[in-house]
Amino acid sequence: MSWDAFIEGLRSFVVWVMDVSSVPILVYFVLINTSLLTLIVLAYLEFRAQQRRRASALSWQGAGLAPGVSLLVPAYNEEAGIVTAVKSFLTLRYPRHEVVVIDDGSTDATFARLEEAFDLVPVPRELPREIPVRARVLGVFVPRDGRTRLVVVRKENSGKTEALNLGINAASEPLVAMLDGDSILEPDGLLHVTRPFADDPTRMVATGGAIRPVNGSRVLSGRIVRVEMPQTWLPRIQLVEYLRAFLLGRTGWSRLGGLILISGAFGLFRRDVVVEVGGLDPGTIGEDFELVMRIHKRLRDEGRDYRIEFVPEPVSWTEVPVTARVLRNQRRRWQRGLWETLWAYRAMLFRPRYGRIGWVALPYYWLFELIAPLLELLGIIIVPLGLLLGVVDVPFAVLFLVLAYGYAVLVTLAAMVVDEWAFHKHDRWRAIWQTVASSVLENFGYRQATVWWRLEGMWASLRRKKHVWGVMTRTGFDEDPA
Amino acid sequence: MIVGAALLLGATIVVLGACLLLILGVIAVRARRHSRSKRDEMLLSPLRPPLITVASGEDDDGSAAEELTWATGVSRTVLDRNIADLLTKIRGAPAEQLVRVLEVHGAVDAAVGDLSSRSSVKRARGAQLLGLARAAHTVPLLVDALRDESVEVRNSAAYALGLIGDASAAGPILAAIGVPDRGLPAATAAEALQSMGVGISEVLREGLKDENARTRMVAAHLSGERSFTRGLPELRHLLAHDPDVTVRETCAVAIGRLGRGEDADVLARHTGATEPLPLRRACVTAIGELGEPGAVPTLAGLLGDPDPRLAELAAGALITMGAEGRDALAGHEDDAAVRSARLVADLQKSAA
Repeated sequence: MSWDAFIEGLRSFVVWVMDVSSVPILVYFVLINTSLLTLIVLAYLEFRAQQRRRASALSWQGAGLAPGVSLLVPAYNEEAGIVTAVKSFLTLRYPRHEVVVIDDGSTDATFARLEEAFDLVPVPRELPREIPVRARVLGVFVPRDGRTRLVVVRKENSGKTEALNLGINAASEPLVAMLDGDSILEPDGLLHVTRPFADDPTRMVATGGAIRPVNGSRVLSGRIVRVEMPQTWLPRIQLVEYLRAFLLGRTGWSRLGGLILISGAFGLFRRDVVVEVGGLDPGTIGEDFELVMRIHKRLRDEGRDYRIEFVPEPVSWTEVPVTARVLRNQRRRWQRGLWETLWAYRAMLFRPRYGRIGWVALPYYWLFELIAPLLELLGIIIVPLGLLLGVVDVPFAVLFLVLAYGYAVLVTLAAMVVDEWAFHKHDRWRAIWQTVASSVLENFGYRQATVWWRLEGMWASLRRKKHVWGVMTRTGFDEDPA
Repeated sequence: MIVGAALLLGATIVVLGACLLLILGVIAVRARRHSRSKRDEMLLSPLRPPLITVASGEDDDGSAAEELTWATGVSRTVLDRNIADLLTKIRGAPAEQLVRVLEVHGAVDAAVGDLSSRSSVKRARGAQLLGLARAAHTVPLLVDALRDESVEVRNSAAYALGLIGDASAAGPILAAIGVPDRGLPAATAAEALQSMGVGISEVLREGLKDENARTRMVAAHLSGERSFTRGLPELRHLLAHDPDVTVRETCAVAIGRLGRGEDADVLARHTGATEPLPLRRACVTAIGELGEPGAVPTLAGLLGDPDPRLAELAAGALITMGAEGRDALAGHEDDAAVRSARLVADLQKSAA
């Protein structure tokens, strides 16, 4: 085949692909952004109701029906920040809570730091085995003062999921909060996130708390003292993503009664329900997503009346990746977890028994979360190819891109307005411009890279490649000098 | 071309225009907040000294309160808002003086009117203000508001009724919890009832028989918290027969707080292996709370339970029961549960 013939063939192919796919892709793009916009409108309605509460004198101090909470903190080589984190967790405003640190076989001085800071003594406690854990428990420790509600469990290294399962076994309160060791909780965070349990104590089984990126903010002794924008563009763009998808998206899903994902960085569960469904699955990557799906399935199968809610009040702050390498690992892992969980629970799709979960939430995740990178990749390949081969009208293509990405920016800006109105976390004016700029910049390079990484994650899963968690390189917080 | 260029251009202009509007929206939201806060600060500044004098209880001759009543227009609105905030924190004579200022301003009468407003925000804020002003004459209106279509209005009405503390509202508050699709959140109901006097004990007893699990739970919880022994027979019945395990656990805790000696047997019946584990643990803890020596054999029998936590709870309960309880630990000294419970008890003792 001659070069000219090849080019001609390629040109015909590209034209055919564009003819066939242009309308579906346009419809898809409109649908995905419109659905996000709908979620943001739902979130606005939710926030409006909360504004009434906030404006009022109804400040809940957790009296009465506030259930006790066990904060589970899995730690692996966290010597730098573990003591500060535990101290900040212990001093949260809440009437009854304990902190359970699970040292997952750290090879650094994580345990030594805790032992020294809290004067730990070994206690010959045998932990319940309600959730099976393979790793050997090396010891259980409590502070010598007999007052501080801290339990430290040392175990052989076997991963975060097993550490959390062991923490659930060790927990003595009716609710368990799953945290990342480097999470920073708002002083009133627990009060906010437990409120739905107190409001509806017989039906509420899980709540998710809003998570925001902490990069750039001023942190002192494990507490945020000033919220700032991240210093670099990569975390700034992630801040925009968190705002759009995590904060407003999940608030919208919660209002719709279709919340199926509670982030592993902060989730609160009824302990007995988690035990009943068998705890977190160590064999899966998206263990947080999988757990929520398993709870939905089990409780719906049994016809039980239950609720799972998202709490949009700021609860937890977490450090987001600052390098492309770490971000790539994270996105690969997320997409792989998404794919594996959606596939595992495919039987719930369009089954009346699962209500809005089966009819709305799961189809949405399949269509707009799972398949989106495939379609975007198609666009990323075909449009430049078409331009190169001269089969695409350049002004038309540019206009199309401006429209497509403009709509995406519009969705982000809508989220920004709602966030500014409801929470106004950033005081500085320049934060507005940085957020607007991030919502635009997101479409140039970042979006395409994450599409590729997400597809890598799916591909690795299809090839049944063994998953390696990788190391989240923390830059640490901007601690004020003492 | 499947999609016309003109249509595409039109859509793009609309989208970009909307983006611009949203950016302006963000700026407007922030600018409005800033300007409001500055304006409020400016309007309030001349009124701040007398406000502080009244709030700190130093307005002996009433002149500062009198000065506050002179405020007019927007200043008055801002002042009333600040007074409402202060009323959440202060009690006694200063609070009464501030309420009088609100009454002179007509804010209390306006709040009564707001209860029938079309705006749920106004209804909610109206209800809150009536509570903060301890407007006892508005109790019937607030009771009606417990059935409002907006959950925030229902919440606010219950909050207000709790502040007023009129026990006659206890029945409607408890009943409002179980209204289908328009229920009152249990936490709000519990907090409101918590601040009412002993006159609510009969209402709580009736609440224990309610068909709604949340209502029963709130009634059981408060019966235990307030030590209302009148509901003991119902608590025992629910502990044994309630279909909801959360309600049963709450009953166990309540019986542990207010039960009698014979209740140790009632609780012991639910420590068997066929019962849900959280309930068994709650019952063992409750037996320990009762401290009834007659329960020692039951607790001793649980020292070898396959659930290590239950065994440790039983050991801990025995340790707190004095010599008789500690004697029952003989022969179990090497059990992990007993050693752990002893160590924890020793640490707590040395801390005390």
